[in-house]
Amino acid sequence: MKKSVITLLLVGYFGLFFFLLLGLGYSSSRTKLAPEQPIAFSHKIHAGKLKLACTECHTSVEKSPRAGVPPVEKCMSCHKTVAVEKPEVQKIHRYWEDREPIPWSRVYSVRVRNYVYFSHKRHIKKGVDCSACHGDVKNMERIRKVSSLNMGWCVSCHRQKQAPTDCLICHK
Amino acid sequence: MKRRDFLKLMGLASSSTVLSACGVDKKAEKLIPYLVPPEDDTIPGVPVYYNTTCTECPANCGISVKVREELPVKLEGLSGHPINDGSLCIRGQASLTRLYHPDRIRSPLRRNTQGQFKPISWSDAYDQMMQTLGQGGQHLYLAGRTTGTLSELIDGFCDERNIERLPEFESYSYAAIKEANRLLFNQSVIPHYRIEDADFMLTLGADILETFVSPVSHATQLARAKKLGQFLWYHAEPHVSLTGLQATERLVIQPGSETHLLRFLLRYLLEHVDYARRLPDAVARAIPNVSGEEVSAQTGIPSEELNQLARQFAEAEKPLLIAGGISTGHTSGLEVAALAGLIQWMMRMTDIVVDFSRAENDANVGTMLDMGELSQRLQEGNVGVLFISRANPMPNVPASYGFKENLRKARLRVGLSDFLDDTMQACDIVLPLSHTLESWGDTQSRKGLRTVIQPALEPIFDTRTEGDILLQLMQRRTGNTGVQTFREYLFTRWREKYGEDSIESLLHKGYFEDSPSGEFVRLSGTAAAELLTTASDPVDFGKPLLIAIPSLRTFDGRSRVLPLLSEIPDPLTTISYGDWVSVSEQDLRSNQWQDLDEIELTIPGGSIRLPVKTQPGLPGGISTIHWDMLKPLMLQVDPRTGESICYMDGVQMVSRGVSVPIPYLSGSSSQEGRGIIPDMERGDEDHDRGGPGMYPEHEHTDYRWAMVIDLESCIGCSACVAACYIENNVAVVGPEEHLKGREMSWIRMEPYYEEDGSAEFLPMMCQHCYNAPCEPVCPVYATYHNPEGLNAQVYNRCVGTRYCANNCPYKVRRFNWFKHERPGPSDEIQMANPDVSIRGKGIMEKCTFCIQRIRAARDTAKDESRKIQDGEVVPACAQSCPTQAITFGNIEDKRSRVYQLAHSFRAYRVFEHLGMEPGVYYLGKSEARSQKSEVDRGHQEDSN
Repeated sequence: MKKSVITLLLVGYFGLFFFLLLGLGYSSSRTKLAPEQPIAFSHKIHAGKLKLACTECHTSVEKSPRAGVPPVEKCMSCHKTVAVEKPEVQKIHRYWEDREPIPWSRVYSVRVRNYVYFSHKRHIKKGVDCSACHGDVKNMERIRKVSSLNMGWCVSCHRQKQAPTDCLICHK
Repeated sequence: MKRRDFLKLMGLASSSTVLSACGVDKKAEKLIPYLVPPEDDTIPGVPVYYNTTCTECPANCGISVKVREELPVKLEGLSGHPINDGSLCIRGQASLTRLYHPDRIRSPLRRNTQGQFKPISWSDAYDQMMQTLGQGGQHLYLAGRTTGTLSELIDGFCDERNIERLPEFESYSYAAIKEANRLLFNQSVIPHYRIEDADFMLTLGADILETFVSPVSHATQLARAKKLGQFLWYHAEPHVSLTGLQATERLVIQPGSETHLLRFLLRYLLEHVDYARRLPDAVARAIPNVSGEEVSAQTGIPSEELNQLARQFAEAEKPLLIAGGISTGHTSGLEVAALAGLIQWMMRMTDIVVDFSRAENDANVGTMLDMGELSQRLQEGNVGVLFISRANPMPNVPASYGFKENLRKARLRVGLSDFLDDTMQACDIVLPLSHTLESWGDTQSRKGLRTVIQPALEPIFDTRTEGDILLQLMQRRTGNTGVQTFREYLFTRWREKYGEDSIESLLHKGYFEDSPSGEFVRLSGTAAAELLTTASDPVDFGKPLLIAIPSLRTFDGRSRVLPLLSEIPDPLTTISYGDWVSVSEQDLRSNQWQDLDEIELTIPGGSIRLPVKTQPGLPGGISTIHWDMLKPLMLQVDPRTGESICYMDGVQMVSRGVSVPIPYLSGSSSQEGRGIIPDMERGDEDHDRGGPGMYPEHEHTDYRWAMVIDLESCIGCSACVAACYIENNVAVVGPEEHLKGREMSWIRMEPYYEEDGSAEFLPMMCQHCYNAPCEPVCPVYATYHNPEGLNAQVYNRCVGTRYCANNCPYKVRRFNWFKHERPGPSDEIQMANPDVSIRGKGIMEKCTFCIQRIRAARDTAKDESRKIQDGEVVPACAQSCPTQAITFGNIEDKRSRVYQLAHSFRAYRVFEHLGMEPGVYYLGKSEARSQKSEVDRGHQEDSN
């Protein structure tokens, strides 16, 4: 009897954490993997339907470690006249008129950057396609994180492609 | 413990870990784009460089500012610049921390009736100033040394508002040299010393490598002169200075006896040198005939050395004599400077090496006598508005002038500064000045050279430049609404001078240099003769004597606000934080003191309590103190020239029986026979490489990074240390941690003194050993030998066992005992190099050979589909070094400079017998060997 109570308690205890973890994972997949954006910008329309090249907006991806987010001016260069009646586009106009940059939510955490050097330029120049890490952006209404960015994920690809795997290639 | 209990405990531990993980930072991470992209094609993540000018001291070296994401992250010397040619000193490096200093004045301040400063708006501040300016009284404008367009604008402002512009204030005014040059050559300036064009140099007291006029210029030139071939350098000083220790021959001279030495030299050269200019008869007659023995007794320099000095001086083709610093800081300072000037003229130095056509632009700089006069005028009570800009006279003016008390008598005191220093504390209105990196401007520190000041970022706080403030005040009076900024004013002036087309190249290059005028100075014979005949008797100081010397780290005290400069130890004593008096070993013994005993130091003017520290090599009876550690009560001035007196005799030093804990970082001032710098002449270097290792050999494919440090060139100036701190986000931890031996510097300057008082300096950092003892003891493989020969430290892996630091014989690994705060102006703005991570608590760190710079070079090389070339990777320490003592490169490449130097005769490695095969090579100091190695190197270069 005493034994079964202890077992039950233990199972309950660990079970609680199991469900807690599950719940945590579920909620983070909703909020963290595809965070809500201040403007419901659709990559599906821009990259998919309109077939704009990634570099059209992410201009520094071939020149810099960072891909770059387009300045508000860039959005306005088209949306001054295009689709101005849509409420989401009007949001851009409001940011532009208020001279405020758009506070996009990050999809891929900046925390990795504190420890690791990553260069978009090097990967693009080696012919790695954007979709290899960012997924099928062309069909994403809202951008969702598709790669874990943990070290195992980086290294597995580096091994596959016979890219260097020395720690100091990435760790800074 | 039973197995099951263990499991239970483990379960508890694991679940609590999960619980604690729930509290991870939920702060939304934002990605903020530009509204409009920057005009200058800035690419996020790619650094931009601006060429501008350092204003930490009046030398005004050219700097290149590295900007990442609109924030400056590093200052580097501007390559090819006529003053510093790519190098930067410790203070210049640290001046970046001034920009981010949390204590900078953030808005205009007004003192209220309770005597406290309260922020006010700019227009209120202007209104109050305008009001008092409109009232009676004589308005005065006192500034620190000002050159270039700003000086013209101040003149314009003062003319318009009927303000008298006072002689500029500098604590180091070089008044004696300027006065001597005025009398002899009718030019009240400091000439430019062309050390690189000389083959022999005698320096008297001048700390040419520390603070004297333009130290980085001197150091770079010295390195070039040494490389050109035979270069003999004598330095005479009564104490021990960093500069003196670098000389080929250091002569210990009786304090104040420089006049005797110069008279002897003048007489000797007059008789022995063929090409010497004929002195006018009246001058020649006025030179006293002195014998070698007499002078030897007076100066304390042995006869043989005296004769050798005179002979080598006479034999030199292009000799150079520099007298200054403490050799002119006494009441015969004018004679010393004048005799030196006379020798300079007679030996035709003034034609080349003592260059008046490129003289320092310091004719407007006044002396301490001018401050006495100002104090007098203030006392008379007729001063309306007194502007004090970029100057802190309060702690540097003798208390006997009553400047502090009389300052209160001005109707309104307006201060312009970036910090609330002593003088600003005494002002009514304080206007915050922008940092140089936030400003437009130019300087002309040297004749014929204009250097550009251009902003690298928008002002962080509500600050303005002095030029803008003056223009706005002028516009307020005229009511002119068309606001002209100082930038527009500056560009108009530049256009007038250089034409529209040159502006862009001026901004790009960062400076503009005229061709020299080619005018030579003429000696005024009558003045020289009069000077010699009326010369006062040389001073004879009694002992004990206290000598106030300039500080490498704080200059005249102006750089004291920068914590980084206290974190980096003084290279002579290795004291980091706190004030002290350096005493001789003899005095320490005879008084039965111990290091850091507190001493009550009394001189006729006042007293001060400070700990003592032995300075090896210091003669008995002489103590030294850094200038900025003195109190105004103790200061005195030579009434003839206005030069501050550096010597204080009649010193009483009484132990107070307590010890003051100030940190000094070296355990011993000597090598203790460990052969860290082997005596190569005696051939006691140990080239035993140890036995075969028990680990498999490392393979190096393309690169194996290595460093060579030339101890012959190293001057111990610690510029490398400052550069490393800033480049690598090394934490500044403060005095308490230093006392526990927890300093974080990745590179340190180790001074090693010999019995005879000579010293050598050795920069020590991670040696990147082939058989690194730190690697096998790491339980988590956080440190390992990477394929490029680096001893890698992976911070994410490190668990902080500190076994590696224990096992390192060089003691170069640093442990983060805490998360070190990085105080900055705000949460958003922090000074950090984004290419280097900021290490957290519990992590071991050390020199990485600037892996981020290797990475950047590799990136460029890959873009161009090639290998990294020799000289492409320059670590921060090597970049900043004024004498280019540090060479870095790929030792696998037999044509690389680093390979050749590492295989030269002088090369050795520290603790070679331990068999660790470090990747850092040192080139030992040895004249005989060095000459041979130069030949050796020459052959190798030829064969390539």
